[in-house]
Amino acid sequence: MSEKDHKVSRRQFLNYSLTGVGGFMAAGITLPLVRFALDPALKVGEETEMVAVAQVNELTNEPKRFDFKVNQVDAWYESEVSRSAWVYEEDGKIVALSPVCTHLGCTVDWDASGDHPNRFFCPCHYGAFEKDGTNVDRTPPTQPLFLYDQEVRNGTLYLGRPRPQV
Amino acid sequence: MKWQIKEIDIYLQAKEYVDTAIIPLIPISWGNDIKSTVQMGEFIHLISDELERQFKGRVFQFPPYTYLKTEKLEERLIKMNEWHEHLKDSGFHHIIYLTSDVDWKQIESDLNDTLLWVPSIPLEHLDQKYKVETLSNQIKQMIPILTNKWQKNENETN
Ligand code: FES
Repeated sequence: MSEKDHKVSRRQFLNYSLTGVGGFMAAGITLPLVRFALDPALKVGEETEMVAVAQVNELTNEPKRFDFKVNQVDAWYESEVSRSAWVYEEDGKIVALSPVCTHLGCTVDWDASGDHPNRFFCPCHYGAFEKDGTNVDRTPPTQPLFLYDQEVRNGTLYLGRPRPQV
Repeated sequence: MKWQIKEIDIYLQAKEYVDTAIIPLIPISWGNDIKSTVQMGEFIHLISDELERQFKGRVFQFPPYTYLKTEKLEERLIKMNEWHEHLKDSGFHHIIYLTSDVDWKQIESDLNDTLLWVPSIPLEHLDQKYKVETLSNQIKQMIPILTNKWQKNENETN
């Protein structure tokens, strides 16, 4: 080997060192991206936590509206979203209905329309539901209001995920 | 419905049910009034989210129209009337402009359709519970404005 082979020209030196730095930077950028991209996937299937919503002793057999917040993860964006529930107690049983109209998702109100006394009513396209959530015939919704998973601990009502009534 | 691709899929299947557009009007300025300007924007954001939740199946929540506080009223008016025309042509019968910026009050009667002006309330010092309460009180006052508007329109077409 001659001396010449060992000599690194100025250009080569810059080339090597820049590739090095560039590669290092690229790694710095890609690694966190991979991590972010994987994270939400790892969390899928996680159960919604139960949230304290009301005291059992404030419930009557007239549906009352309670508002609460739950954490929701949408891709890697975690946010607090508002939820509401219509809750009443009848024959020692607590019923917690989701106010989300099963037609297109507006929020229903209790006993708010003269045409539908003692029913849940949707102001958007005039959907109606019985007190137990059953959809009223000849109004747009085609299935009952969803029912929340529930749990009572020490006199406090906790609600989880709303599920279709089958 | 929200400005999201998955909501558009629902919209496309249920177009005939969605006839109301909500357009938040949000001013921008970066001077001494920076705090109050940001507060207005945040407040209107919260209110329009909540209205969307309330009326999801009939209302489409558009991205806000943002403008410099110095932009002339006539210019804003021209723009909003362009939006209006476009949305009317695309099947929206009702258009609700939502703002905390009192300037719009001056041209309210020149706007096609409804201006909902809500003075912004400083929420940052309230704790969560009062925040929710304050907001839902505001919303409660706005609900009948929309439902009456719909009702009136339906009575006319019947
Ligand atoms: S969203 Fe309730 S009736 Fe259409």
